[in-house]
Amino acid sequence: MRTTSVLVCLLLIAPAAPARATVVVPADLGELARDAIAIARGRVAAVNAQWTDDRGTIETIVTLDVESYLKGSFGSVLRFRVPGGELGRFRSIVVGAPEFVVDQRVVVFLGARAPAMPFIVGFNQGVFRVVAGESGWIVTPPANLPAVANVRVVRGDAARRPLPLADFELRVRTLAGSSR
Amino acid sequence: MRRRASVALLLALVVAQANPALAYLKFGTTVGGRQVTLKWSQMPVRYFVTNVSVPGVSADDFQAAVGRAFATWHAVETASISYQLGGATNAAPGRDDGLSTLGFVSRPDLDRVLASTSFLVDAATGALVESDIFFNAAFPWSVASGGEANRFDLESIALHEIGHFSGLGHSALGETELRAGGGRTVLAAEAVMFPIAFAPGSTAGRRLKADDIAGISDLYPAGGAQALGSISGRVTKNGAGIFGAHVVAFDPATGSMVANFTLNANGQFSIGGLSPGPRIVRVEPLDDADLDGFFDPSRQVDLDFRVAFPDRVVIVPRGGDSGEIAIAVVAK
Repeated sequence: MRTTSVLVCLLLIAPAAPARATVVVPADLGELARDAIAIARGRVAAVNAQWTDDRGTIETIVTLDVESYLKGSFGSVLRFRVPGGELGRFRSIVVGAPEFVVDQRVVVFLGARAPAMPFIVGFNQGVFRVVAGESGWIVTPPANLPAVANVRVVRGDAARRPLPLADFELRVRTLAGSSR
Repeated sequence: MRRRASVALLLALVVAQANPALAYLKFGTTVGGRQVTLKWSQMPVRYFVTNVSVPGVSADDFQAAVGRAFATWHAVETASISYQLGGATNAAPGRDDGLSTLGFVSRPDLDRVLASTSFLVDAATGALVESDIFFNAAFPWSVASGGEANRFDLESIALHEIGHFSGLGHSALGETELRAGGGRTVLAAEAVMFPIAFAPGSTAGRRLKADDIAGISDLYPAGGAQALGSISGRVTKNGAGIFGAHVVAFDPATGSMVANFTLNANGQFSIGGLSPGPRIVRVEPLDDADLDGFFDPSRQVDLDFRVAFPDRVVIVPRGGDSGEIAIAVVAK
């Protein structure tokens, strides 16, 4: 108790910032597609940070105006949670946690454990950004596509490029077993 | 009451964005408009462990395994950081209570996150106040000396997280393979700070590599560090600097690798903590990674270029810098 009081006094004088870092289990696009309960493409409508009830830290609720579901459905307006975020003068940083900006277009792979709100599958691995390319919409970063034989990932390979949106969606639908 | 105090504490905080600083990929914070590297200022760094156990790992096992991981970082001769066990605590990691705490917490929603490190940072000075590490109890863990099938090695993951705890960011010195039938595995990692884990059962992450040693020596230089040198330079495409290019220095004498990134819009990089001698330098895009694990998402990382090498072997001088190395890359 004394330690806590001393710390609070110290921090009132000298403000501080939280930050986090992670180590993850890697996934390819097929695993993400299978693990996700829903996969949605949409535009970020709102990003709202809030205090968690149990851990006294900050999480962010992202509201997505859904343009299309590639798997499952959570409705036309989707809300999901990500760790960290900004609240007033405060920002909780989770290195590796995905961050979102209003009006950004994304494809998100979502999991859910009722009654909690949906979350991103695979942490930062379950988020792809839809951006304008030279010849239309593309999805970045380059996806790690499932392989038919063991394939070493080679950085700088000319084939490692962001996919056109239509190609990406076709692959995801197929991998998720919900081609339509 | 405890939560209320914690919330009050957080409300008193002013948060500054953590960015990697030049010289090595490590955590930093903005203080008074300038970038300050996050590092411990007083030694030994005291830490506490929870008395929570999980199947296969008792509380005593946990304390012993993280103790070995701390000892591995402490044993780096060219670094001055040291740690001290403060004892066991009932407080869970993640609480802002002034104690640096390590322990198991169940987070099934973080379905592919094995462990996570959090910091409280004195934003007025950039000094670390507290750092906690949680290990996700939703995964199977092991402390067996030779590893255990289908269980993640606690000591290996702890070694990675304690690197963060000490102020190091992620390294990209690792190689992965997409497997037939699905899945992606780590083939090799030349840094404990590579952000994705070896397969369950592996204990390959228990030993520090040259990149880790260079990083911790750069952060906390000790007596022998004065003899170490550095490589610096600039990576350009079409004459303009690029951000986020991965620059690797390979030592042909030992086979070891140390790396860093171009960390500003001018495409400048600096790799510190290198022993004197020749290096083969290679530049590559980070086009196989989840970029949020390395950089602030607001940064535009250039992924569209081919692997490139400078036109000569680079010499690291004893206690000095190579002088600027210019490397031009071309789009894919």
